[in-house]
Amino acid sequence: MGDIESENQDIENSIKELARNLLRDKEVDVIIGYTKGTVPLSSSPVFITREEDTDKLLWNNLCYVNLANYLAPRIPKLYDEEGQKLKVGIVAKGCVGRALIHLAVENQINFENIKMIGISCNGIINRKRIEKEIGEREILETSILGNSIIVKGRDFEETFPFDEYLNELCKVCKVKSPPNVDDSCVGECLENPVIEDDFNDISDFESKTSEEKWVYIKDTLSACTRCYACREVCPMCYCNLCFVDQNKPIWFGKTTDFTDIFAFHFNRAMHLAGRCVACGACSSVCPMGIDLNLITRKLEKIVKERYNFTSGMDKETVPPMMSFSMDDKEEFMMEED
Amino acid sequence: MILLKDQVAKLYNELSEEYNFFAPVKEKGFIAYRKISNPEEIELNYFNSKIPPKEILFPQNEVLFEFKTDGKNVVEIEDRKDLDEKNILFGIRPCDAHSFDLLEKFFAFGDFQDEIFLKKRENSLLIGIGCNSPKSTCFCTSIEGHPFQKDDMDIFLVDLGDNYLVEGISDKGNNIIQRLSWLSKASKADVKKAQELEKKAQDLITTKLDLTNTSDILESNFGNEIWKEVSENCLGCGSCSFLCPTCTCFDVIDENAQYENRGRRIRIWDTCQFCLYTLHTSGHNPRNSNIERCRNRILHKFSYYPLNYDLIGCVGCGRCIQVCPVNNDLRTIISKINNIKTNEENVNV
Amino acid sequence: MNEITSESKQMKNTDDEWEPKILAFLCNWCSYAGADLAGVSRIQYPPNIRVVRVPCSGRINPYFIVKALLDGWDGVLVSGCHPGDCHYLTGNLVARRRFGILKDLLEFFGIEPDRVNFMWASAAEGERFAVLIRKTTKLVKKMGPNKKFEKKW
Repeated sequence: MGDIESENQDIENSIKELARNLLRDKEVDVIIGYTKGTVPLSSSPVFITREEDTDKLLWNNLCYVNLANYLAPRIPKLYDEEGQKLKVGIVAKGCVGRALIHLAVENQINFENIKMIGISCNGIINRKRIEKEIGEREILETSILGNSIIVKGRDFEETFPFDEYLNELCKVCKVKSPPNVDDSCVGECLENPVIEDDFNDISDFESKTSEEKWVYIKDTLSACTRCYACREVCPMCYCNLCFVDQNKPIWFGKTTDFTDIFAFHFNRAMHLAGRCVACGACSSVCPMGIDLNLITRKLEKIVKERYNFTSGMDKETVPPMMSFSMDDKEEFMMEED
Repeated sequence: MILLKDQVAKLYNELSEEYNFFAPVKEKGFIAYRKISNPEEIELNYFNSKIPPKEILFPQNEVLFEFKTDGKNVVEIEDRKDLDEKNILFGIRPCDAHSFDLLEKFFAFGDFQDEIFLKKRENSLLIGIGCNSPKSTCFCTSIEGHPFQKDDMDIFLVDLGDNYLVEGISDKGNNIIQRLSWLSKASKADVKKAQELEKKAQDLITTKLDLTNTSDILESNFGNEIWKEVSENCLGCGSCSFLCPTCTCFDVIDENAQYENRGRRIRIWDTCQFCLYTLHTSGHNPRNSNIERCRNRILHKFSYYPLNYDLIGCVGCGRCIQVCPVNNDLRTIISKINNIKTNEENVNV
Repeated sequence: MNEITSESKQMKNTDDEWEPKILAFLCNWCSYAGADLAGVSRIQYPPNIRVVRVPCSGRINPYFIVKALLDGWDGVLVSGCHPGDCHYLTGNLVARRRFGILKDLLEFFGIEPDRVNFMWASAAEGERFAVLIRKTTKLVKKMGPNKKFEKKW
């Protein structure tokens, strides 16, 4: 791997240039990108409409929010005063591109109004892990030097190896730039990507016994406060009324008793099967630092192995939960001995 | 008085029989206030808890009462019986202690007295510790607070390094201190050191928000364009309000026990950011989009609280700043509000 | 639903030998008729299942299964028509996709995989229906009561 810092600089420069061009040529009305956060280990999504503001755009390894979320929100924002749909340019790392494509497959967005500013993402830092390891010391500044993340506080300075402190999903990411569809991508993008994945990273967990898995899941999820940050940041969670909010009938409880937490996370995972694009935003935003990446990986694996599908790669393949086949695997069905 | 750091266990042993002893412990990588059964669990090297100590008096899920049915009708209602238990909240930060005042104002507003909260509050004793090193996101001094604010506590401690300087503030607190006859006397040097620490801590808080006119500006700018700008990147999650020490909104639901003819009514935290909040039966929701929801959160703290209770509904703990997934910084929002030109025509959003 | 639960409660109280209670979703056209045939043919099978008749196995929302587990059922069984025989042509194929994911995911979350079972049984397979009910009951019984989801009260 090269020098992360200069890589970031290159990416940032190309974002700025492409954004400026798009705005100048009136190809888009608004650019959605990232800007600097006010606290360390953060970044902030920003909407830019004027050419001169493009300098605010930034790229670093903390751009964890999946911007595709803003294009298919519950309450559409990107309309002008007359209710006309705005043309949007969106800074797209691989998973943002995948999310957009999958949203298009589900008929939530139309690429006519969208330009992807494709970049080749070099990974997102696992900020929650760093936060936890620093513990009760205050982080005042983070920077990247060579291949390490440097975290500074009032009276300490710690170095974390970049490769190890990436998001678990970024470590195994195969789609760094957005796949190109409908020629909507400017900048770096992939043409007809084919990905191979062995899912070795979760085999350790899979080989555990039921009891061990349960203990781990219970321990991890029980910190949940039901703030639904994971749901709100997820580009695929665009339902007008989420199943946990339904009150006619009330399917699952809303308390923080573990049964109710389990119901939320389990059913949310079910709903994301074959749809999740593995951006890892849910884990990055969780205020309680819950790591949902394992579940995400498992979903990817199930769908890949059972139905040979990877979400958000092209617009033509029908997602597994929208179709069926006579020859689907059914080894789990009970048979007479 | 002086409490040596290794005497905290003694303090616990002496008081835990009479009181439920809540103290900061390390849980899943973060600090949380929990009822402890072993003084060794207490973690006193900390900034502040992730979830504010309001969860002790106003828990995320709280049973209001239980009921029995004969299959169809309610035949018996059982009220809470544990409200007379006495609590000690040990190691509370001044900002969180102040939040209890605000919560009390809310739960005792007008004719509606929330017995459950108020009783618990009455039976609670706050033992607070001053903040020697506030975080960079803290801004309590902007809200007439202070890292060494003692008014809202019963007993106030100052961390002097090896020991704590103990000061009784309320009568309740002084009674406790009198019972603890083994506390040693504080020397003049100790008091002086505490004052120095206080000065140092105050200097460490660099964020200064001007909140003098905010309430007035907010009142006259309900329809200002700024709310669109402020809510632009908001996702609508509840992390800011769930981790806020002064947020009080709750939802009330009934639960039934499996296989038994009984149930309970519980209240759970709600937040103005959620889609069910203020949703009318007709399907209409006056706070239908992020714009109104974000506005409600800010107005509630910086306009409605001043109007109703003559206090700002924020304690300056900075939790929402640290936790917001999209870094929608409260400090920035306040400065944007203060920059609204007062003579500007109101534009309806 | 009320009748079912009060009946199950009685079962729970006989502690001499623990018997699991299993919620069975049977599709109207094949499996329910299969159960009927088992009954008419006087084929014996364990009395541990409580049947909910659904129009098609495609009607089964994963919520039903999760909710049953949360409510304390020791096992859940879903039975539908054989692939290709669905009354609605493809309902069971759609269901099969869901079940595959559900089963894998339950296992990943640490729920014993044998708690939730799926089977096909046609209206003519009374014998098969009984055999598979016996098998399910045995599997669930081996795992013991479902205690993972007891709500703190």
